[in-house]
Amino acid sequence: MKRILVKYYKKGDAAYLSHRETMRAMERALRRSGADLVYTSGFHPRVKVSFAPALPLGVSAEAEYLEVAVEREPDLADMTRRMNEALPEGLRVVSLQVLPDYMPKLSRWARYGLYRVEGAGGSFHLCLRIDGEGGGRLRDALQKLEDRFGAGVDAVTRVGIYASRDEILEEYPDKVYFYHTENGELEIMEESGAG
Amino acid sequence: METGNDVELVRSFFKRDIAQVSKPGRYLGIEVNARRRPLTARGCNCVLVYPDVYEIGMSHLGLAILYEEINEREDCMADRAYLPWVDMQELMQRKGIPLFGLESRVPLNRFDVVGITLQHELTLANVLRILSLAGIPLRAADRGSRDPLVVGGGPGAYNPEPVAEFFDLLVLGEGEEVVHELLDAVREWKDMEKGDRPGFLRRCASIPGVYVPSLYRVHYRPDGTISGIEPLEGAPMPVRKRVVSDLDRVTRPRRPLVPLVESVHDRCSLEIFRGCTRGCRFCQAGMVYRPVRERSEDVLYAWGREMISATGCDELSLSSLSSADYSRIISLAERLSRDLERERVAVSLPSLRTDSFSVELASKVGRIRKTGLTLAPEAASPRLRSVINKEVTDEDLLEAVSAAYREGWRKMKLYFMVGLPGEEEEDVEAICSLVRRIMREGDSGRPPRGLRLSVSVSTFVPKPHTPFQWVGQLSLPETARRHFILKEGLRIRGVTWKWHTREMSYLEGILARGDRRLGPVVEAAAREGCLDNWSEFFSWERWRRAMEERGLDPTWYVERERGEEEVFPWDHLSAGVDRSFLWEEYQKAQRGEATEDCRYGDCLGCGVCDGKEVSGRLAGGGS
Ligand code: SF4
Repeated sequence: MKRILVKYYKKGDAAYLSHRETMRAMERALRRSGADLVYTSGFHPRVKVSFAPALPLGVSAEAEYLEVAVEREPDLADMTRRMNEALPEGLRVVSLQVLPDYMPKLSRWARYGLYRVEGAGGSFHLCLRIDGEGGGRLRDALQKLEDRFGAGVDAVTRVGIYASRDEILEEYPDKVYFYHTENGELEIMEESGAG
Repeated sequence: METGNDVELVRSFFKRDIAQVSKPGRYLGIEVNARRRPLTARGCNCVLVYPDVYEIGMSHLGLAILYEEINEREDCMADRAYLPWVDMQELMQRKGIPLFGLESRVPLNRFDVVGITLQHELTLANVLRILSLAGIPLRAADRGSRDPLVVGGGPGAYNPEPVAEFFDLLVLGEGEEVVHELLDAVREWKDMEKGDRPGFLRRCASIPGVYVPSLYRVHYRPDGTISGIEPLEGAPMPVRKRVVSDLDRVTRPRRPLVPLVESVHDRCSLEIFRGCTRGCRFCQAGMVYRPVRERSEDVLYAWGREMISATGCDELSLSSLSSADYSRIISLAERLSRDLERERVAVSLPSLRTDSFSVELASKVGRIRKTGLTLAPEAASPRLRSVINKEVTDEDLLEAVSAAYREGWRKMKLYFMVGLPGEEEEDVEAICSLVRRIMREGDSGRPPRGLRLSVSVSTFVPKPHTPFQWVGQLSLPETARRHFILKEGLRIRGVTWKWHTREMSYLEGILARGDRRLGPVVEAAAREGCLDNWSEFFSWERWRRAMEERGLDPTWYVERERGEEEVFPWDHLSAGVDRSFLWEEYQKAQRGEATEDCRYGDCLGCGVCDGKEVSGRLAGGGS
């Protein structure tokens, strides 16, 4: 058994598909991808697949992830093409990657969501935890931002999912706001060393 | 196509407001396999409408077939629309957004044809709601050259009289062939700038199967019954339904649309045959879809595989009115399920017959979810079963239940009706004793441990074009009394029971056999509400008041037994089966006499087959 990490985007009208609807669409596309999928057992077998934490309705994403189990390594280019033919407009596979066994599961590393927020106050990045309890409080974070800058938000895009804050800082050395889901505080992110 | 202000309105609505409504996925129109064709300048632009919400409409096979037929043509296109959910309706009205085609986002009133399927009486108010959301004049008589042609179809077209004045025309019977004749006619008319609408409608009336309500005048007697239906300007009398003789030669949804939002039947439907000649006397589908025409096994096998690979669906349903009756069912089901096993696609058989053969077959072919199995004995006493010509015995039912139990089903659903003609108290009590017997002997003579039985009881509603079109429907208090018998008698461990809302069945009864005088009633009821088939929105009071204000008496429509000679509101519309055959069947029902199935046996002379084009057809050859 192999694991494949699927990176995909969700844009335009597809941003209005709920998490559940997105999962359905991706599962259908996987079934048509030509890959030898691993299924769960029982009367209603399902594709063995796990998704990154839900994206709120109406938010687009440039880099979403799902992990799917396959019996053997497929032709990745062919699989990408077939999946893209089987997805609704706005959902597209960006890349596929066969995961080495030592790579942790998606659910273990998908901790932080990084969002690009555009509005009257300009464009900046916002980071918050998306896993576990208190995860995914994006609405609250945006409200906080609006209050802080006194300007409305026009568009929000999840640009990536990360395992640690340091990874984000490496990629985005400019100012990134961090929203603490525990206490609702907003601060500028700095190297923490804590991850 | 010029883009007008309203097109822009819809566009900006999507940018700014769509995230506010519940499940916006229903309105996006970006389904996999959606054709998303632009409107054409010279060809016929159609929008196909299911007058209920997306989740229900998306599962409907008839519109999927027409969608395919129309979009296969270069010169014409078809978009889709459904009734928006209440929050969306409210928001659209507030923002002045007209109802639009999902794929093109062009308002409905800019299409040439708005095609609406009539599937159920309780969606008639929805039809009017759709027209008003779209800003289309409700009455056909008020529409001009810039307004679309509002076309109806589906089983409801066999008595569309309560909504007849809102349709320019309706099509009786199967649409695959007549749709092209209509599209050609509309194209021609469009070439002539759509002048002389009445003249155009007269031309349409000469197409077999096309019913133009404005070309018929109905005369009433003082007692409210009809004295005659008068065809005007050479309109055909009666209008006869269209029948496709060879189903292998018409298309099917090659690449079915994949719903974005979970819908009621989340599966691919492969239609294996049309028609059913078992002859259940209450069943309208069994009468109006005659004769039986099976598709050939190899065609179905290829189509089934093609559908799955075009959708990624995990269930292929072999659909028909009674799928176990298909003459090559074992072979077809086994081949498909063997082949699709690798992709974990379940083959399923809806509409199971009440016998162990069907249950074992269903269980063998599919790794079917053992979550629920539905059996429909309809009536519980042998006497009543012979009235309705449903030749099932208690033993058949028990064997079916035992087989299902052996195969692992622990949840089963039984369908019964109350209010069948000639029903007595003891027939209702028979439902209770039959259920009790199942709970005692359902496991091959032993109590079926762990079995949960849900008993679903509907109220019989007499339907046009059936042998029971003459009978009176049960009154509300009498229905309540019979429900009470069930309530007491079905207090059995492991058994739950559900009944249809009595007033809903009563309204269904009014509209099913209604006449044109109900038009303003439907209009008034639709102004105040819709979604009558949803119990949270249904209001009997709204309808009762609408009738009262127009001096119409619900009981007269529902409870009255009709005489042999009474002219029905639908007498100018023919489903092919002769009225004399239906009357004879009604007489036999009263005598408790059986009528055989003509599928394998002799022709009974119901009138639908013409010995030329229209005749029964079995996959194994022969007819
Ligand atoms: S005409 Fe005869 S063969 Fe044809 S459906 Fe009727 S009874 Fe059957």
